[in-house]
Amino acid sequence: MIVSYDLLVNALIAGVLLGGFYVAVTVGISIAFGILDIVNIAHVAFIILGAYIAYIVNLHFGLDPILVGIVTLPAFYALGAVVYQIYYLSFERRGQEALRGLAFFFGLLFITEVGLILVFGVDYRYVSAIYVGPSLRLGIADFPLRMVVPCVAALVMFGVLQLFLSRTFTGRAIMAVSQDPLALRLMAVDPIRIKRIAFGISVATAGIAGALLIVIQPVEPSVGREFIGRVFAIAVLGGLGSLPGTVVGAMLLGIMESLTATFYGPSWAPAVAFGFLLLTLAFRPQGILGR
Amino acid sequence: MASSLTITNLHAAYGSVRVLEDVSLRVGAGETVALLGTNGNGKSTLMKCIMGILRPRTGSIVVEIDGDRHELIGRSTEEIVDLGIALVPEGRRLFPKLSVEENLMLGASRRTARAQMGRNYDFCCATFPVLAERRRQLAGSLSGGEQQMLALARALMLAPRILLVDEPSVGLSPLLVSRTIDTIKLLKEQYQLTVLMSEQNFTQAIRIADRGYVIVHGQIAYEGRSAAEMNDNELIRKFYLGI
Repeated sequence: MIVSYDLLVNALIAGVLLGGFYVAVTVGISIAFGILDIVNIAHVAFIILGAYIAYIVNLHFGLDPILVGIVTLPAFYALGAVVYQIYYLSFERRGQEALRGLAFFFGLLFITEVGLILVFGVDYRYVSAIYVGPSLRLGIADFPLRMVVPCVAALVMFGVLQLFLSRTFTGRAIMAVSQDPLALRLMAVDPIRIKRIAFGISVATAGIAGALLIVIQPVEPSVGREFIGRVFAIAVLGGLGSLPGTVVGAMLLGIMESLTATFYGPSWAPAVAFGFLLLTLAFRPQGILGR
Repeated sequence: MASSLTITNLHAAYGSVRVLEDVSLRVGAGETVALLGTNGNGKSTLMKCIMGILRPRTGSIVVEIDGDRHELIGRSTEEIVDLGIALVPEGRRLFPKLSVEENLMLGASRRTARAQMGRNYDFCCATFPVLAERRRQLAGSLSGGEQQMLALARALMLAPRILLVDEPSVGLSPLLVSRTIDTIKLLKEQYQLTVLMSEQNFTQAIRIADRGYVIVHGQIAYEGRSAAEMNDNELIRKFYLGI
């Protein structure tokens, strides 16, 4: 088989751009699941909620969807803090988080989804922004702006988070909290407060990721389910607890999906991606950059 | 400058199992006091009571720091640490998947400690060159002796006034035990700390202690007013030295 050079280059570019978007979708799971040990299945529902908020504000006020995502950050942070507080009081404090906590987040997922269906129906919705249509062409390479802008936004968000986690006292406490909560208390830090902050941040990233999602593709309420498997796969592939690992995992998955979709057809993409995940875990159970 | 710890008539239990009975103990300003006893006699429980991890049934635990008296019972662990009381816990309880440097930085989380972080960090690096060398390594990958050094250094980053050390010698080779005990003495002198150290290893502990208590079945069985007096005591000879 002769592989067209043009096709290969463009598939790679598309993969990297898609991977960048996956960073935004997964980084919150990386914090909640990878660092805090909270299996937040509902993360994708918060992403779809973010997408719909971006949609509705964009429709009525013509505001840029990504700007809407940034403006609503505090609201999503507060939502996350409240959800964690409920989760903590109802399950974690009693040591029942394993199964009942999972059921709690499943419930949140369905309630959010059904709520969105009741309000908006099941039609696909999309946003308008100047970068949704056009493409940048450099030689043979094609850069669709509706992919480039979310990718850049996602990487900026990742950079800010990484700096926060590695350079601030609160950030370091977030990295430490699930390893030994009592030891953290002996450092005069309240582990519950730290988890609440971290979970708030995690959900805040979902708001942004939702705005990016609706820039990339039209959205309907149950589209989030496509991402549940993917986000957990990326977090595990990159290495739980490692934010840079999440970027590596997201990029790898994006590139693999794009190459497979281009050369063998889109239906093979998930099979190849998850096959790669299984292989990685067989040889490196802690993930690519896992500690 | 004066920081002291006074425990009066303390009773503590896990459920219906009584662990501490009428324990009274005092650590005066600038003193190093050893709390001696074999496994299961209540040493760690006493440490947990002081740090607010376990709530005692009755009694009082009062610290005096710079002329201010604080009753510790009823306060949260975070508040107690924030007063300037640091515990090096049994089993060290480092953050194994964080680097040596990150572990140390976490020690400086409380407000008072942040202001002195640079100075304390430099001191830790100078005192424990091996930690400076391995600052990027994960704490979980250090040897037992290095982990004990890191646990001490991390407690020091808290800028404490009163230092509690729970069984520093557990799991260490005799040479490392001796080095750890020397280090505690050095830290105490450098930072003018008040130290309460629980130990099973009598000979090592008494090397640096000004005086000590022997705890047996949750009760203070003997109080030695000086290191020399403890060396000559009947009970200690029987329990520890096998003479």
